[in-house]
Amino acid sequence: MRDFIEKIVYGGGILFDLAKWFIATVVLLSVITTFFVAIFTVDGASMEPNLHDRELVLWNKNAYSGSKKPAKNDVVVVNYKGDPAHRKYVKRIVGLPNDAVKIENGAVYVNGVLEEQGYLSFDVETMPDGQWQVAADQYFVMGDNRPNSNDSRNFGPVEKRFVLGKALAIVFPRFRLIKDI
Amino acid sequence: MKDNKTNSAVVPLVGFYWRKLVLFCGFFAVFLFTISTVNTYKADIDQYVPEFGDLDLNVTLEIKPDGSVYIDGQKFKEHVNILADKEEIRFPVLDNSGQYFDSVTINVVLPKEVASVSQYEFLGIHGVGSTETKLVDENNIKFIANDVSSAAILTPVIIMPKGTVQPPMALKAVSSAKSLRAGIWIAVGVLLPLLTLILLFTFIAYQIRRQRVDRPDYETAAPPMALPPALVGLLFHQKIGPREIAATLIDLAERKDIYIVDRERDFAFLKNKFDNRLLTYEKVLLSKIFNTKLISDKEEVDHRINNHLYSKKLSLVTAGINVLGTRLGYFKVNPQKMQMKYLAYGASGFFIGLAGFVLSLKIFSDTPYIAFFWLGMMVSALVITFMAKNIPIRTVLGQGAVSNWLAFKKFLTKNEKMPYSFHSQEMFQKYLPYAIVMDCEVAWAKRFSEQNFELPDWYVTDRDGLSLQDFCLSLFPIVSYVARSFAAIREPGFK
Repeated sequence: MRDFIEKIVYGGGILFDLAKWFIATVVLLSVITTFFVAIFTVDGASMEPNLHDRELVLWNKNAYSGSKKPAKNDVVVVNYKGDPAHRKYVKRIVGLPNDAVKIENGAVYVNGVLEEQGYLSFDVETMPDGQWQVAADQYFVMGDNRPNSNDSRNFGPVEKRFVLGKALAIVFPRFRLIKDI
Repeated sequence: MKDNKTNSAVVPLVGFYWRKLVLFCGFFAVFLFTISTVNTYKADIDQYVPEFGDLDLNVTLEIKPDGSVYIDGQKFKEHVNILADKEEIRFPVLDNSGQYFDSVTINVVLPKEVASVSQYEFLGIHGVGSTETKLVDENNIKFIANDVSSAAILTPVIIMPKGTVQPPMALKAVSSAKSLRAGIWIAVGVLLPLLTLILLFTFIAYQIRRQRVDRPDYETAAPPMALPPALVGLLFHQKIGPREIAATLIDLAERKDIYIVDRERDFAFLKNKFDNRLLTYEKVLLSKIFNTKLISDKEEVDHRINNHLYSKKLSLVTAGINVLGTRLGYFKVNPQKMQMKYLAYGASGFFIGLAGFVLSLKIFSDTPYIAFFWLGMMVSALVITFMAKNIPIRTVLGQGAVSNWLAFKKFLTKNEKMPYSFHSQEMFQKYLPYAIVMDCEVAWAKRFSEQNFELPDWYVTDRDGLSLQDFCLSLFPIVSYVARSFAAIREPGFK
């Protein structure tokens, strides 16, 4: 026992020797998850049937840095603009800057053209009716589970500064690329 | 095992060092201060909780001229967000309150008469019937929500013109830092270590030029002065490393203080006699190897190495040689002290950088590029730690001594076989430790390659007919294994 305690106190090396590797690993992982890619846990059913509650999603934090801009149908991680410090949502880009988005009788029109939304469940309708003019540097986002999603229909289009990155793949429990869903 | 127990009774389990105590007290004080600061900060409310029972809720949210926010007279943890071209309030006042309200009215009092030139909206999600905003006057805006569920999140958003609030200096500095572009922070993160590297490199180059060691164009066939090999190594390298320890071991063997026993896949050291001419650091080194025994085999040595991450005795050996070198006037300051000074600078810089890195990721989560500054600081600290030990600190006397020893090195590395003489073998053994510390043991051995070789009497092996090459191939791995292991377990900072 004393030998064991001596090893802990004087090291046997393990604690102190590993400290530098621990620090290096933590710093490296922090850099990767802060600036490059990170894991997002889906919380809720707002992106059903494509993303499910508690699924782990890998997302690219650099997808929209600089002059790169979100494209239509991108699945994005956005800050809730009413509480950007604490709430992140995963939604889909439906309207781009300067688009006119209209919801009427369960269908979505962008600039007067009916949207093809193959990613929605067969019988899902988009409610309630409404019209939004998306300003420059703003995006209209909606969840795929239209009846059960708080999105731009509730809080309006979001500025680009609140669009944090692009979802790339579901990594748990079953790996799938987002572009394939 | 029995021996270990005896040792355990003598050596305290935990060493007690005043400096460490003071250092950890300092850390603890900083820790306590931080905790108390955080607690003070937390005394501000971080979530507004309405009183239970009233179906119509009225809340007053006041923005003070310094940008702080009060809800119903109580300071709120959130602050006006200072952006490059605007100032905004954007946080939920009601968040999952757990009770239903027919109506919620939030009266916002602005710090200046800017209501008509501000943009505002009332965001409500998770069960809010309707929301509306009313401009009361230039100082007041009313946010009204109806049919508010228990899970609702209500956020009044007000975007005010730049200059509406006058935040404290610290907040201004934070905002300024946040407003810098990512590229600037990345550039700072790269330039900082690069600049440190260039500065240190220039400084070292300047010092080397100032303390130029003359390369002699002559050779001397004997050591220029009677110095222990480890001290010669210190003169050359300005530090004590495996070579200096290896040379000391062979020197001790040459002086018949120890025997080196080479067994198949194993080795052992035997203590020969009590020698009162031993230098202090040599005594400590022997005590590290043998403790109280007369024989120390590989298992014993391994046990002594592996049982300690850092060894006080090895640190004493290093310190002893450094003190000796400094007392003889070869260095302006104790090389170990100089290394420790820069190590302390480097370690402090590294940990400040690490703390800044972690804090910046936490505080500036929306603009994390500030962390590159701290990363740059950490790398700069590492540059200082690893490069500063190369700053030359030899005195004129030291430079002269190195020059003289270089003349001897010329002799050791001469590309000419040694002429046979009766004393050749003796000379090879005698100068071998010096060749090791001057990084030329192979060249020195090559000078004797064509001569008959007899094993030194301090080298014991059961193998017959070993040539000089076989001897070197057997001895060097043993000595370098022990020396490297010992050199790696010095306690940093032990004086």
